[in-house]
Amino acid sequence: MIEPARLKNRFIARILGKFPFLEKIFTSLYYPEESEGVPWTPVKKPLKESKIAIVTTAGVHHRDQTPFDMTDPDGDPSYRILDVRKPIGDFVITHDYYDHTDADRDLNIVFPVDRLREFEEASIIGRLADTHYGFMGHVAGRHIDTLVRKKAPEVAGMLKSDGVDAVLLTPA
Amino acid sequence: MIERAGIPTAGITIVRKYTEKIKPPRSVFLRWPFGHPLGEPFMIEQQRAVLTEVFKALYSVTMPGDIIDSGFGWRREKYDRYSISGVKEELDLQP
Repeated sequence: MIEPARLKNRFIARILGKFPFLEKIFTSLYYPEESEGVPWTPVKKPLKESKIAIVTTAGVHHRDQTPFDMTDPDGDPSYRILDVRKPIGDFVITHDYYDHTDADRDLNIVFPVDRLREFEEASIIGRLADTHYGFMGHVAGRHIDTLVRKKAPEVAGMLKSDGVDAVLLTPA
Repeated sequence: MIERAGIPTAGITIVRKYTEKIKPPRSVFLRWPFGHPLGEPFMIEQQRAVLTEVFKALYSVTMPGDIIDSGFGWRREKYDRYSISGVKEELDLQP
């Protein structure tokens, strides 16, 4: 049985998805924390020689992984390691804060693994990484600190160890 | 964090004013519905169009925090030119 709070969030997400003008009103009510400065690393390699990974905040994970926590009003700062050697049908989405009906039908609209595989086969990119990372974009309150100080640096370190040359960031 | 680890990033944004606050280094803005950063299900050329613009932003943005407005008009746009052969030359990108 799904908790009433989750049903409410899903209902709001569905309504916002159907009426774009309501999305504008909704987003005007929420102010994300302002970042200081802009991090910057220059691109070093041609695209056709670069290993590319995706970091998504659309709530993507494997079926056998623990879903993101949808009961905590402050969200969930954890991440899931996504292995794209597994079939696309092995991925699911847990995220009550947007309507992912369309992304459930075609994951590529939030996690474009098939399109990047085509780019790899056509030698447009050097290589698609095997390992990618999934977050759930709703992170607030006390979880922001966990995300910034612990989870995001962990993912950055793993991308570096994997020899990834550039990262594509996809939202919900 | 990823940039601080020495890896360049480029992203998609649906809500421009959030991106202006969060300040990722390179972004492509799409005036599209939530949950559809790469477009509609099974619209392969549309999805490729977005990736093309994001990779171009990765190489073309020189001002940290720049947001490129794709100008894509959702369903009003024609995406036919974004075949694999159509984008290959455009994406022969060098630092």
